[in-house]
Amino acid sequence: MNESDPSGPQYWRSLDDLAETPAFRDWVEREFPAGASELDGVNRRQFMKVMAASFGLAGLGMTGCRRPKQHILPYSRQPENVIPGVPIYFSSSMPGARENLPIIVETHSGRPTKTEGNPSYAPFGGGSTVYTQSSVLDLYDPDRATRSREGTSTVSPDAVRDYLAELNKAHLADEGAGLVFLAEPSTSPSRATLVDQLKKSFPRATWTEYTPINQTGAELAAQAIFDKPVRAIPNFEKADRVLAIDADFLSGIDNHLAYARSFAKSRKVTSSKDAKDMSRLYSAESILTATGSTADHRLRLSTSEMGVFAALVAVEILKAEGVTGPLATSMEELSASSGDLGSSLKVDSDWLKKWVKECAADLVAHTGNAIVVAGDHLPHSVHAIVLALNTALEAPIQYVEVPAAADGIQKAIDRLNEGDVKTLFVLGGNPVYDAPADLDWVTAQSKAEKSIFLGYAKNETSEAADLFIAKSHYLESWGDGRTFDGLLVPVQPMIEPLFDTFDELELLARLVNAEKTDAYSIAQATFQAFGGNDYNKFLSNGLLAGSGYGEVTDKLDYSVILTAIKSDEIVIGSKPSAERLEARFTTNSHSYDGRYANNGWMMECPDAMTKLTWDNAILISPRLAKELEARDGIQIFPNRNVLNGKTFQGVKGTLQLNKAEFKRGKETAVVAELTVNGRTVEAPIHVLPGLANYTIQLPLGLGRKVVGRVGQGVGFDFYPLRASSSMGNAQNASIKLTEKTYLLANTQEHWSMEGRAIVREANAEYYAKNPDFASQMGVESHAPANYGKYDDKSLAEKSLNNYRGNSAYEHPKFNEPDSNVKVWQGEEARSKFPRIQQWGLAVDANTCFGCSACVVACQSENNVPIVGKDQVLRGREMHWMRIDRYFSAEKYDQGEVPEDVQVSFMGVSCQHCENAPCESVCPVNATVHDKQGLNTMAYNRCVGTRYCANNCPYKVRRFNFFDWNKRQVGEVYKGPFGKMNEQELPKMQRNPNVTVRMRGVMEKCTYCVQRIEAAKIDQKRRAGASGDVHVKDGAIKTACQQVCPTDAITFGDISDPESEVSKMKASDRNYAVLGYLNVRPRTTYLARLRNPNKAMPDYYSKPYAYKQYKDRYGSSASHGGHDASHDKHGDSHYKDGHESHDKHGAHEEVHSAH
Amino acid sequence: MANVFPRWVNLVPIKIAVGLLLIVTSITLGVTYYFTPKYTRVGYAPTQPVAFSHALHSGQLEIDCRYCHTFVDRSEHSNVPGSNVCMSCHSMVRKNDPQLAMIRNSYESGEPVPWVRIHKTPDYVYFNHAVHVNRGISCVECHGKINEMEVVSHAKSLSMGFCLECHRNPEKYIRPVEEVYNLNWERPKGPEAEAKFEGFVHDWNVNPPQSCSGCHR
Repeated sequence: MNESDPSGPQYWRSLDDLAETPAFRDWVEREFPAGASELDGVNRRQFMKVMAASFGLAGLGMTGCRRPKQHILPYSRQPENVIPGVPIYFSSSMPGARENLPIIVETHSGRPTKTEGNPSYAPFGGGSTVYTQSSVLDLYDPDRATRSREGTSTVSPDAVRDYLAELNKAHLADEGAGLVFLAEPSTSPSRATLVDQLKKSFPRATWTEYTPINQTGAELAAQAIFDKPVRAIPNFEKADRVLAIDADFLSGIDNHLAYARSFAKSRKVTSSKDAKDMSRLYSAESILTATGSTADHRLRLSTSEMGVFAALVAVEILKAEGVTGPLATSMEELSASSGDLGSSLKVDSDWLKKWVKECAADLVAHTGNAIVVAGDHLPHSVHAIVLALNTALEAPIQYVEVPAAADGIQKAIDRLNEGDVKTLFVLGGNPVYDAPADLDWVTAQSKAEKSIFLGYAKNETSEAADLFIAKSHYLESWGDGRTFDGLLVPVQPMIEPLFDTFDELELLARLVNAEKTDAYSIAQATFQAFGGNDYNKFLSNGLLAGSGYGEVTDKLDYSVILTAIKSDEIVIGSKPSAERLEARFTTNSHSYDGRYANNGWMMECPDAMTKLTWDNAILISPRLAKELEARDGIQIFPNRNVLNGKTFQGVKGTLQLNKAEFKRGKETAVVAELTVNGRTVEAPIHVLPGLANYTIQLPLGLGRKVVGRVGQGVGFDFYPLRASSSMGNAQNASIKLTEKTYLLANTQEHWSMEGRAIVREANAEYYAKNPDFASQMGVESHAPANYGKYDDKSLAEKSLNNYRGNSAYEHPKFNEPDSNVKVWQGEEARSKFPRIQQWGLAVDANTCFGCSACVVACQSENNVPIVGKDQVLRGREMHWMRIDRYFSAEKYDQGEVPEDVQVSFMGVSCQHCENAPCESVCPVNATVHDKQGLNTMAYNRCVGTRYCANNCPYKVRRFNFFDWNKRQVGEVYKGPFGKMNEQELPKMQRNPNVTVRMRGVMEKCTYCVQRIEAAKIDQKRRAGASGDVHVKDGAIKTACQQVCPTDAITFGDISDPESEVSKMKASDRNYAVLGYLNVRPRTTYLARLRNPNKAMPDYYSKPYAYKQYKDRYGSSASHGGHDASHDKHGDSHYKDGHESHDKHGAHEEVHSAH
Repeated sequence: MANVFPRWVNLVPIKIAVGLLLIVTSITLGVTYYFTPKYTRVGYAPTQPVAFSHALHSGQLEIDCRYCHTFVDRSEHSNVPGSNVCMSCHSMVRKNDPQLAMIRNSYESGEPVPWVRIHKTPDYVYFNHAVHVNRGISCVECHGKINEMEVVSHAKSLSMGFCLECHRNPEKYIRPVEEVYNLNWERPKGPEAEAKFEGFVHDWNVNPPQSCSGCHR
C-alpha cells in the first residue's frame, strides 16, 4: 500500500547483508542440499537469550488467553448470485501484443485469486502459460503504482481527466501536430477504433507502437508477398513431420499454447500399436529450446547459418516436389555457399548435406502433412523461403489476414528529434529500459515539451516522464482483445480498481473527447460493431464464435516469393568464432521482456533449461567455455570429482563433469566482460550444452534499475547491447573472462542421470516391438516383484487391497471401515460398504515440454511462499512441484560436458507413496495416510524434525525455515522477534481453502486436496438422501493438470478401472520412479518416446538416456557380465540387451501397470 | 572451617523438587481439564448489536432456518443474513421500532451490522455446512436448540473430539433429510428406529472421514 522505499530493507534477498557476520557453520547434518540447515549469524549464546526471552513472552501471553471478540459483517444488501464461501468464475482474457489469452478467473468474495485457461477456446483446451498464472500476483503487487504523479506530487484522477480534456482542446487547434504516441501493440479492437478516431481528430499526430520482443517477422515477410499482412497458423495436430528452423514454437512465442497442444496430440501414443503414427520433429537451432529438446533430430547451427540451411532444404524439397523455375535456381545458387556450413560444429559438410537431404526427403514423403516453421528473429528472406516450402509441401497451415502493424519506434524518435513535439504519450511498455540502444530513446523523450507515461508500476520510463498516470491491471479493467486467430474475447474486471488508476481505453477516449469515455461502454459498442447481440452471453462464454480473422486463400506464385528473397540475408558473411561470437537476444524465462520483473513467482520459477532462479546469465556452449578457459586461463569447469575409484571400476565410479563449480550447492559462476557493438556489459556466464558452439544466448529483461523491491538488483541487463539493426542477434560479440565470480541460485546442481532409469525413454520403433521396455529398466526389473504373488492383480485391486507382498511394512487398510465405526461392522454391512475412491496421478513424459506452467500454477493454488535468491542458494526453495531437467549425451565421458545432448524433463511433486517412507519416521504422526491413499500433512502436529524430508527418496518435502507470510521482509532471521507485517495486498491473493503455513512446519504436494474435498462435498451435497457419492471421473483437476496445455498430467480414481488415469496407468509405458524401493508411489510416469529417422546420419538406435542406462547397468555384472555388448552396432544391441533380460525369467513378463 | 550452611538446607532440594512436581502436575491437570473448548467455549453468549431473538423468530414464528441462512445448503458457510433480509419483513412489521434502528441504518447506508461471532472453528479446520445438512445432519446437532434461545449461546464444544464422536457413530445423529431444519424433532427410540437410522447410513453410503484430509487442508 505504501510507496516503496528503496532505502528500506531489501525484499527477499541478500539476508547476508543484514546478518552481521555471515559465519557459515559446517553442520554435519545434511538433510537438505548443502547449506540448507545452516544457522547464520546466531551463536548458541544468542540462541539461549532468544529462547529465554520467548519463554518469558509465553508467560506474559498466558494472561490474555480469552478468546478475542470477532465480528461477522454480512452484506447490508446481499448481492444476487453471490454465495459467501463459494468461488465465482468469470471469463476474461489476458492482453498481449498479438494475442489475448482467454482465461477464467476464480474469485473469492470479489477477490481474484487464480487464473485458468478458458476451455471454451478449443486451441488451448483450458491450458495456460506461466505468465497467465503469475499475472494475478501483479494485481496485488505492493509496489504497483497507486496514484498518478507529476514530479514528486500526486495528481488526483479528476486532475488527470481535466488535463486530458485540456490537451484535447490544445491539440485540436494544431490538428495534433505536436502530438506523438508510443504505445504497446494491442489486439483490442476498441483501442483500434479509438486510434482511428484519434487520427481523425488529430490528423497530424504520430501514432507508433513498440515492444522489445516483436514477433511479427514472419508477418512482415508475408506482407511483401501477399501484399497484405498475413499470419500463418500451423496446425501441428495434422502434421506428421515438422522442421523447425531456429524456431521455438513449443514455448515462448505467441500462440505457443495452441502449438504445444496440437503438437502434443500428434505425439500422443496410447499403445505400442500407434507408436508408428507418432509425428517426427526436426529442429535446427542455435540455442537450446523446448522445441530442440523435444526434437527427434536436432542440429546445432548458428543463427547466421540458418539462411543457407533453409536454402539447402529448399533445393531438396523443391526438386522433389517438382518445382522448377527461377526460385529453384536461386535456391541452388544461394546454397552454393554452403561449403563450410556447419564447420563451426566440426562436422563435415557431406554429413550435413546428408542430414538436410534425408530430412527433406522425409518431409516430402509426407506432403500434405509436413510443416516447416522458422524463428521470428530470422531474416525476412528465410520466412519467404519457408512460405515457398510450405506451399510446395501443402502444409496444414491456415493463413489469415491480420490488421496492419503500426509504425515502429524509429518514427517516434524521428519526430521527437525534430524538436517541435509538444506532448509525448508513452502508453505502457518501458522504452527507456528496452528501446534499442543506438536509438537513444532517453534523449529523444526529453526533447518533448511534456512527456506523459501510462504505466502499471514505476519503472525507468516513468522516472523520465513528466507526468505519470497510474494504469489499472487487466483484472480490474474493461476491454476486449482478439486471440491469435482473431476471435473476439472480453477483458472483464474481477474487482473495482484497487487504486486511483486509469485504463488505456478511458485515457484515449478522453483525449479524443469521445461521447463515451468509460471502458465498459466502449467495449460493448465494439462488441456490437462485431455483430454481437447478447453481451452477457459473450461475457459468460468468454469469446465470440465466428469472429476470427478472414482466411487468405490466395494461390502463391513462386516468382513473387523470389522477389522477397534477398541474397545478402541468406549468404553467410563471416562465420562466428571464439573471437567473433554470435549473440542471440531472447526473452528470459522470469520476467519475459522485463515486464514481470517485480513478480516473485516468476523470479523464483526456475528456467526450464538452466534451472536458474532470480538471475539470468550469458549462456555459452561447452566448446566455447573450454576455449575461453584455455585462452584466458580462468577455470570455468570444476575439477573432476572422482568418486571412490577403487570400489567402482572405470566409468562406473565417476560422476559426469559438472557444468559449473557448485560450492556448497551454490553455482559459482565466472563473471565475463561481454562486448557487443562497442558496448560492454559484465555478467556471469553459465555453460549450457546444446548451444551452437559460437552462439551465446543473452536473455533480456532483467537487471532493471527502477523497479519494485522484488526486481531490484536481480540479474543483468543486456538491452544496452542491442541495436535496432540487430534485434534478434548480433554478430560481433566478444567475451573476456574476469577473475570475479558471482553466485547463481541454481535449483538443479547435476545435469546427468548417470545412466539411472529415472526418465525412461525409447525409440517409437523399438517400443512398437518391445512394448514392455519401460518395465525392463531399473533395479525393479531385476528384483522380485514388489507385490509378490499378487503382482498380476489389477491396479484397482492393488490400490484397494494393499497387498503386503514382500514388504515388511504393515499396510493401511484403504477399503475397510475404521474399526471404531460400529455401523459398518458385521458381514452384511461390510458387503454394502462403499468403495473409497483412491486417487492417483499419471504424467506422460512424452508430451511434457518443460514449460513450467505447473510450477507456478501450484504456487498460485497452494499459497506456496517465495523465499528469495538468498534462500534458494541455501536450497530452501518451497515449490511443491519442480521440473527436473536431465541431459544425456551420445558418449558417456565423465570428463566432458557434452555439446550435443538430448534433454529429458520430469515434473516431480509428492508421489503419494502407499508405503510412504516419510510416515514411518515421523515421531508425531504429522504425516499419515488417509483412506483415499493420500499422504497427508497435518501442519498442526508437525514439530519440524525434518526426518520425513530426510527419508523421502524423491526430495519433494519442503520445510518452512522461516515465517514467510507474517514477518516483515528482512526480519525472518529474528524468529519471533521479527517485526510482523503481513502485507494486505499479497494476502488478498491467497487461496482461502488452503492453510497458510507458518515457520517450522513441513509441507508438500497434497494432490490439491482442497479440490478433491470440494468435489467430494459437491457430489455428496447433490446425492442428498441417496447413495450416489462417488466423484465422477474428470470432476477433479489438480492445479498442475488444469494448467497443462498438452494434457500431460492425468488425475483421478485408480480404483475405478474406467477412469482416465487408470487407462493411462494401464499403458505398458507406465513405470514408477525408483519403483524398486517398493514405496508404491501413486504418481507414475509414462516413458518418453523419441522418433528418429533411420536414414538420418545422426540416427540413434536408442535415446542417449537409454543407451547410458544400458552402458552402465543393462549389460553389467548383474547380467552375467557380457560387457562386450556395448552398443556399437545399432540395432543388434537391442537383441543383446533384450535377450539378457529374458534370462531373468518370468517375473519381468508380469510387470503390469502399477 | 565452620559450617556455612545450616542443617535445614539439606532438605531444600527435596522440598523444591516435590514442590515443583506438585506445581507442574496441577498446571498440567488444570490446563488439560479447563483449557478445552468444553470449558472455554460452551456458554459463550455475547451481547449482539441488535437484540435479535431466535426464540421469537424461529421458535414462535416458526420461520425456517433457511429463510435467513439462505446458503447453508449450498456453501461451506452458513451465511449471516444481510440487512435486506431483515428489512423484507421489517419494512412493514414494526417499521419504526427503535431496536431496529441499526438494521434500518445499515440498509440505508450500506454499512454492515457488526454481529458478534459465536461459533468458530479454527482457521485450519474446513468445516462445510452444505454437506452436513444435505446428508441428514441437523443444525441442532452442533448449535443446540437455537429456536429456544433468546440470546444465542455456544451450546456444544465443537472440539475435534466432538466432531469425531459423530463421524464415528453417524447412525446416532443422522435423521431424515426432511427433518434437518426441524429443531424440535424428537428422535425415536428403540431397536426399530435404530435399524432405520443404520439403514440411512448404509443406503446413503455415509462414511464420514476420520483422516486428517477430511477437515484439514
